Amino acid sequence: MTERMKEIVAEALNVEIETLKEDTSFKEDLGADSLDLFELVMAFEEEFGVEILSEDLEKITTIKDAAAYMEAHKE
Amino acid sequence: MKIETKRPIIKKKKVSGESIVKMKTEITELLGIEYPIIQGGMAWVAEYHLAAAVSEAGGLGIIGAASAPPEWVRDQIQKAKKMTDKPFGVNIMLMSPYADEIAKVIVEEKVKVVTTGAGSPEKYMQMWKEADVKVIPVVASVALAKRMERCHADAVVAEGTEAGGHIGEASTMTLVPQVVDAVKIPVIAAGGIADGRGIAAAFMLGAKGVQMGTAFIVTEECQVHENYKNEIIRARDIDSKVTGRSCGHPVRTLRNQMTKLYLQKEKEGASFEELEALTLGGLKKAVVEGDVKNGSLMAGQSAGLVTEKMTCEMLIRKLVKGTEKQIRGSVFYE
Repeated sequence: MTERMKEIVAEALNVEIETLKEDTSFKEDLGADSLDLFELVMAFEEEFGVEILSEDLEKITTIKDAAAYMEAHKE
Repeated sequence: MKIETKRPIIKKKKVSGESIVKMKTEITELLGIEYPIIQGGMAWVAEYHLAAAVSEAGGLGIIGAASAPPEWVRDQIQKAKKMTDKPFGVNIMLMSPYADEIAKVIVEEKVKVVTTGAGSPEKYMQMWKEADVKVIPVVASVALAKRMERCHADAVVAEGTEAGGHIGEASTMTLVPQVVDAVKIPVIAAGGIADGRGIAAAFMLGAKGVQMGTAFIVTEECQVHENYKNEIIRARDIDSKVTGRSCGHPVRTLRNQMTKLYLQKEKEGASFEELEALTLGGLKKAVVEGDVKNGSLMAGQSAGLVTEKMTCEMLIRKLVKGTEKQIRGSVFYE
């Protein structure tokens, strides 16, 4: 899942996939603004069929967080 | 709920000698207003005098709650109700420390419409829907518009980067049609619209209404300092600047000493704290004190199109006539 997630992040934020690590922070390391974050979240939801609640958005700051969230919430 | 897409209907009617234009779109129907013209919920600027006057004139006035405490918002709503029986709205800035309380005040005071900015209002949706409040989030991207539709927003405002205050990246010309294609709920265009030509153009892009801010700042009913109004009237096409791009919070204002200093420091790589100190309380300085040199004169690119002060009623009448002329009048050679 982490690999697929890296692909999504690389595409959504227009960064090289090789530079992404599990603890890469969307905001701090990749400079994502709020619009980028919604872009990411929508892409994750579409790919993994999981709905990310708005109150959980703040908790998802790295690829690792996102992967853990998807794992915990998938059907 | 699937809303059928219809073309806006613009009709001319003669009432006691004077011709009055009627504009019927999904937005006028949804909100119970005469014209699909919404006044933006500008922080510090959009208080009850302005909101009530816009609603009285047939548009939708909005009280901007910004970071104000809930008691202030409740007082504003009650005062607006005394001035108009027509629907008006409240804009919630979701990053406000009082957002939760203000969300409740909206329900308690039976406000008809709420617009939201700076994030996603998902956690309030159920409460508002149960109270039959119409919810219209302001969005600056297709992804957020889709998300808002999914959580049952009634419409969205697609705001382009031409707008004043906190802005996104995409322009109105490009954002509006993309949002229109992505969602089934009606789309309201915002950013750069200040006259009938802009409104007609918004309809052409698929919008069913418009939201305007800058043009309403200079109206007689708007309570901001005269100096602020005069700066907007005086502004030309190139007088608009964006500060704060480096820290991810771009804000559009009219250029002055503050923006000059800010942009210089931003170029030199000043820290977030140092930059923030320049704009702290800047909007209040502009609105209340009329300090046009050091204040944040938030205004959109459309400031160059705004050239005279008038009442809200005169402005809306002018906008409606101008729109009708554009849509009816041929833009082609015969």
